[in-house]
Amino acid sequence: MVEVMVPIGPQHPALKEPVNFRIYAEGEKIVRLELNLSYNHRGIEKAAEERNFIRVLPLLERVCGICSHSHATAFTKGIEEIMGLEIPARAQYIRTIIAELERMHSHLLWLGVAAHEIGFNTLLMWSWRDREAVLDTLEEMSGNRVHYNMNEIGGVRLDLSEKQVAAAKQRLPVLEERIAQYLDMVSHQETVLLRFRGVGKLSKEEILKYGAVGPTARASGVDNDARRDDPHLVYDEIPWKVVTDTSGDVHGRTKVRIGEVAESLKIVRYCLENLPEGPVRVVSAPKAAPKGEILSRYEAPRGELAHFIRTNGTDKAERLDIRTPTLANWTSVAKALVNQNLADIPVIVAAIDPCLSCTSRMTVIDTGTMTQGSITWDELVRKCRARYGMEAQP
Amino acid sequence: MIGQLTVEQVAEAMREYGPAEQVRKNRIRVNTDPQKIIDAISAAKQRLGCDRLILISCTDDTGSFGLTYHLTGPHRTIISLAIAVPRETPQVLSASEVLPPAAIYERQIHDLFGIVFPGHPGLTKLMLNEGWPDGEYPLRKDWKPEKGKSYDGAAREGA
Amino acid sequence: MTGNSQSLSQRLATWARVRSPWITVFNTGACNACDIEIIACLTPRFDVERFGILAKGSPRHADILIVTGAVTWKQASRLRRVWEQIPEPKYVIACGACGAAGGVFQGLYHIMGDVGKIIPVDIYLAGCPPRPDEIINAVVACLNLMKEDLAHGGKEWRKNTGEKEASPGTGGAEVKV
Repeated sequence: MVEVMVPIGPQHPALKEPVNFRIYAEGEKIVRLELNLSYNHRGIEKAAEERNFIRVLPLLERVCGICSHSHATAFTKGIEEIMGLEIPARAQYIRTIIAELERMHSHLLWLGVAAHEIGFNTLLMWSWRDREAVLDTLEEMSGNRVHYNMNEIGGVRLDLSEKQVAAAKQRLPVLEERIAQYLDMVSHQETVLLRFRGVGKLSKEEILKYGAVGPTARASGVDNDARRDDPHLVYDEIPWKVVTDTSGDVHGRTKVRIGEVAESLKIVRYCLENLPEGPVRVVSAPKAAPKGEILSRYEAPRGELAHFIRTNGTDKAERLDIRTPTLANWTSVAKALVNQNLADIPVIVAAIDPCLSCTSRMTVIDTGTMTQGSITWDELVRKCRARYGMEAQP
Repeated sequence: MIGQLTVEQVAEAMREYGPAEQVRKNRIRVNTDPQKIIDAISAAKQRLGCDRLILISCTDDTGSFGLTYHLTGPHRTIISLAIAVPRETPQVLSASEVLPPAAIYERQIHDLFGIVFPGHPGLTKLMLNEGWPDGEYPLRKDWKPEKGKSYDGAAREGA
Repeated sequence: MTGNSQSLSQRLATWARVRSPWITVFNTGACNACDIEIIACLTPRFDVERFGILAKGSPRHADILIVTGAVTWKQASRLRRVWEQIPEPKYVIACGACGAAGGVFQGLYHIMGDVGKIIPVDIYLAGCPPRPDEIINAVVACLNLMKEDLAHGGKEWRKNTGEKEASPGTGGAEVKV
């Protein structure tokens, strides 16, 4: 049995975030994968039954440190729909701005991580530097770089001042230019093409069969996007388009994500320029929600997020069932890895952009030789790079 | 583009399985029985063109567990197939043959509620650590963590 | 007070350790915001590598262990083992509200809470998540602790003097971010 420790997440050597995959391999070829998520299971759904709506929102934000606004908004809009609340237009626009800024910072984070996988550390540094501009905007608007806590039942917590809007608009042109550069880089750079093209390919049929969502699915030509399919916030009022690709491999997913950042920039610009006047919250939102049930869908950066909420007339949710996009994508990744080389694991797994809130560790069991050994993450990444003939580029 | 489904279309397609109701905009719910759920899912796939499972949600309704299979497709309507599984014998056939993504949601439900899915490829623990005591299902309404009890998942050597 | 009680090689080791601490990070079940802010410290805006601070994966090479997360049951024993692998002198920074008492996850059934229940903690860093500046501040405070302890020949002296507050960020030089 060959044991391999694999952290998933920003793959800096410093971060050992073990995630539990059990990989059955024959020599270097992967035969089967199993998943265990217990390292990071915290019991949030149970806690959501015991906390009222005000207290549960900060908890839900911290399900994930990157897509925090996604969870909070999915829950908030679900509860508001059960209550039958009409949210002021300005609040919806502000929620959309934060949502798209979050998508941008998440995709830029991913871009850096994916670049690090293939030894392209320069791109990691560049994309994370640009990400700082997005985080600055979010910090000015909400007070925190992550976990913005902008949502309230009935609207948003803070308004945007003229100065904040102007400052945000000022940052957009630089980002637009950089994104165009990244798209160009990703389309023409040898390093990137060699490592991403043809790797982890999933056909459209496989995506549908295994239920993948988000950029993973859209890169195979599957035209699913919860922003358009289940309109919420202001997505049905403003011009924007869904970004898809047909290649179905990691390269396609990279292009989709960069394309989505460009699209998000446009949405943010439109919202900032057309921010309607008015209040940012309902005058007095009810404390308790009537008996009801709802499936609230939201397009998080990683894909479709689903919150199933049941209420019972009190100020607490009776049941909150969260289905994260990474869980939906897992089945397709497990299939994509079969018959691939061990050395391709980092790139293929990173390509679904697993939400780091799953920590796990990987055990590789060699069914052929039944030998046991262990490789650290660093060694695996070095193996990857060696296989493709490149060491870490400065 | 395929248009959204109406409740009449769904009711017609699912007539052997149960009544359909429009719960809210774009959400249609069909109540059916645990014995018929696999066939109902197949019918939804074939007759209504549902090609995607969004999630299988599970609730503890005291006397029973409510499982709802939320499906969607190019028509963008969400069809929720709801069943009630009796509490004394919480068992329902696994849907993973008919819908491969169901496997991972069923593992999660098994961990947290204790529902068994015969026919599932491998109901091993997904969310809870290995040291978690058997028979304790955290998301059941009557479960509370015991003070002083260790739910520790002490790692085996080399793991 | 340095020097008298230490040999030349010890003084060299002190200088190297304090000048270039190696850090390892252990995630005990966090939402990962803290981990990302730690990595952001390495990116051009904050750039801790210019201070000689290196993030190393292996605990055997580390001086400082940063713990993120609220310690799930699963990770508790592993955290203890990782800590045991780190050679003395070692320092532990519990990052964020989770490390202090579980943060927003207090009372959840799969969470233990306070990192201090598992391993001795030298610095609790507040924030949810703490900004990269604050993380760098905590590491600098840790270095000050390290310097003091090495001057006294170890950590034992702190037990005798009772509670000793570490003063964060009094390294002196202006840090431009």
